[in-house]
Amino acid sequence: MDNKKSQEDLNVSDRRDFFRKTAALSVTALAGTSLAASQDDPAIMHHVPWGQVWGDPVTKNLYGMPSKYEHNNTRRYTKLLASGNYRASIAVTPIHESEGIITPNGLFFSRSHGGVAHVDPNEFRLMIHGLVEKEIVLTLDQLKRYPKVTRTHFIECPANGGQEWRGPQFNSLQFAKGFMSCAEWTGVYIKTILEDLGLKPEAQWMLAEGSDNSEMGRTVPIDKVLDDAMIVWGQNGEALRPEQGYPVRLLLPGWEGNLCVKWLKRLEFASEPWYCKEETSKYTALKPGGKAIQHFYANEVNSTVTSPSPEKPWTDLKDGDVIEIEGLAWSGMGTITGVDLSFDGGRNYVQANLKGLVLPKAWTRWSYMHTYKKGEVLLLTSRAMDDAGYIQPTVDQEVSVMGVESVYHRNGVETWEVTAEGKVNHVQMRTPGGVKNV
Amino acid sequence: MFKLNTKLIVSASVATVAALFTAGCMEGATPASTSKASNADIAGGVIYPIENGKTGPYYVDMQSHGMKLNHGRTPTANELKAWDKDVMPDGTGLPEGSGSVEEGEALYEAKCVSCHGDFGSGGGGYPALSKGNGYELQKTLKNNRWRDPQAEGPTRVFGSYWPKVSTMWWYIKDGMPHPKSKVLSDDEVYALTAYMLNINEIEIDGEEVDEEYVLDREKMLKVVMPNVDGFVPNIDGPNALNDVRAYYANPTNFGAIKVKPEERCMKDCQEPTVVVTRIENGGISEFNPPMSVVRDLPEAKKEALDVKSAYANNCAMCHDTGVAPAPGDKDGWASYLAKGMDAVYKNAINGIDAVMPPKGGSTLSDTDFKTVVDYLISGK
Repeated sequence: MDNKKSQEDLNVSDRRDFFRKTAALSVTALAGTSLAASQDDPAIMHHVPWGQVWGDPVTKNLYGMPSKYEHNNTRRYTKLLASGNYRASIAVTPIHESEGIITPNGLFFSRSHGGVAHVDPNEFRLMIHGLVEKEIVLTLDQLKRYPKVTRTHFIECPANGGQEWRGPQFNSLQFAKGFMSCAEWTGVYIKTILEDLGLKPEAQWMLAEGSDNSEMGRTVPIDKVLDDAMIVWGQNGEALRPEQGYPVRLLLPGWEGNLCVKWLKRLEFASEPWYCKEETSKYTALKPGGKAIQHFYANEVNSTVTSPSPEKPWTDLKDGDVIEIEGLAWSGMGTITGVDLSFDGGRNYVQANLKGLVLPKAWTRWSYMHTYKKGEVLLLTSRAMDDAGYIQPTVDQEVSVMGVESVYHRNGVETWEVTAEGKVNHVQMRTPGGVKNV
Repeated sequence: MFKLNTKLIVSASVATVAALFTAGCMEGATPASTSKASNADIAGGVIYPIENGKTGPYYVDMQSHGMKLNHGRTPTANELKAWDKDVMPDGTGLPEGSGSVEEGEALYEAKCVSCHGDFGSGGGGYPALSKGNGYELQKTLKNNRWRDPQAEGPTRVFGSYWPKVSTMWWYIKDGMPHPKSKVLSDDEVYALTAYMLNINEIEIDGEEVDEEYVLDREKMLKVVMPNVDGFVPNIDGPNALNDVRAYYANPTNFGAIKVKPEERCMKDCQEPTVVVTRIENGGISEFNPPMSVVRDLPEAKKEALDVKSAYANNCAMCHDTGVAPAPGDKDGWASYLAKGMDAVYKNAINGIDAVMPPKGGSTLSDTDFKTVVDYLISGK
């Protein structure tokens, strides 16, 4: 421990020396001149402790865990989004630390209505009944015998950003946009199972019901069941985590996370809808006229800047640094076709670049290279489009139709203010009091 | 697959073709529409049909289609009865039974009040069940605070917002009481539903649901909730799916905007009235764990039981709110202690019928939880 402490002290004094000396040198001089010995980086000049001793044997951590240095990369929760005992609550994904388009299973956002159930896979049964020609019960092994499909899709709680209809509330990317995650799911299309069972002509709706304490249920229109609705048991190459409904959940690609019923036990087909608690009392979007949208299925086209963010500001950037502005875009309506980026809060836009895999109803990465000017104040706003033809509305446009009491399905553009010091604040660009007929 | 899908879709909904036609018309009414009508799904999104062996970017194993895989077995009549417990608005699945408001109130006081508060007033993160007269409060649903932040907002509780009473009956039966669900008899659920109607001042057939009122199946099916017509799109009846498709085919219904990519605004896109709106009063910043992006070694974990935080996380919601005796409340604990410490430990660990959850809902060991019980009684 003593050694470590002395090395930390050394680090600090070296860094101070470094900044004092380099401040006097021009950038070109630095580039062409090798540094004096006192500017040598101890991390390079000293043997690091892990380089001189044995590492762990392979017998340790047979299920691997993240580096102990990564302990701040976790889901987080807040009392204000929770029942008193944190059983009807949400813990959200650290989007600011997310890489690529896949959320690690341990960081996938967790939302339940009666706590995370721990289902014994040996006692798991899936019952499919109602308006089908043949009713069945399946064990987990029997379910897994159907031909598998693997698809990458995000799941988003429709209340993502829902605390901010009347103005920004969270100075945090994790809490402003982290009610969502994206994973590669493996399971079976329900339409494949229905090939065997046969759907009766009068079937219009499907009830999906969980086996948890709250027996969470939702009604799904037959259109989705026959399109891309899946029953999934695999998540990023392993079994679903309990937080995601182990052993089996419903996956309705692109639609409200709440519809993707976890700890699934029963699918029933009927000619009339059920009016479950979570499709009437909640998950309905109240509009200004006093009527609420029910059965509001798809999460609309959306995007956010992920770097910089309030958590990862630009306070360490130097004048002239070329920096990547990175973000995520997603749409439950289809595939992302483009993202625009504004530096002035949505007055003017430039086209950003999509990168990597661009998949339907999946997180899509985009970026834009920016040359940073020390002291500049920016209002970074991203705006995504999808192949269904939708574009993200401005805050004013969305509010003019939906009012500010909807809670759900907010997808108006998001803005980060970058201050002269490089700090990042969550702001909104909107007309005070709202506007009518924008 | 394609053949089969066609069959399924056609048999499932003879109106599919008409629906797509409707969707097409609605889209035509939106000038900036770019997507093909035949590719529009019920929610206004895109369908990716299988073309050349692929759906979107994914290859499809065409061989696996149409195989009529014969897995699983037929459920028995008893199994269906055991699991098919849902209750629909028309009374499907609603069993016979009855319960009075008076009985419901007693049950509520015993099993529900600790979370949902006196007369369903809510609190502690648990939902309110009533805020007064449902008919009056239904009118507040038009309140929107977009112009005046100080204005009174909408009140969304059972009486003012929920469209159907069947939802309440079903959820009480399946999901309540929260600490141990699925323990109430049908009569008890009728009684609690009657009490819910009573505190929300809902009338049945013009009759007040007063203390003496006895709710049964027949009467429950007559309930018309104040906000029964408060929701769009229509989801009832044989034409429901067409109504839903038509609703989401029109982006202006749900605050969405369609535009041709080449026609989107890139320069001078903002109204002059738009200003930077900031987080007020610090916003919400109580994050757990506290926000940090530092990469260092975590603090050593405390292995020892932290009695006070165990109390705060598991017990305080009742024992701090007067529902159950507080830590060190000698008078409050006297009647419990009269039964002897072993009985107190036993009840604390095993729970008491939906009033005291086993171990307060915690996952502590018996030994650790006894220490928490000691703290509750001594206050030290």
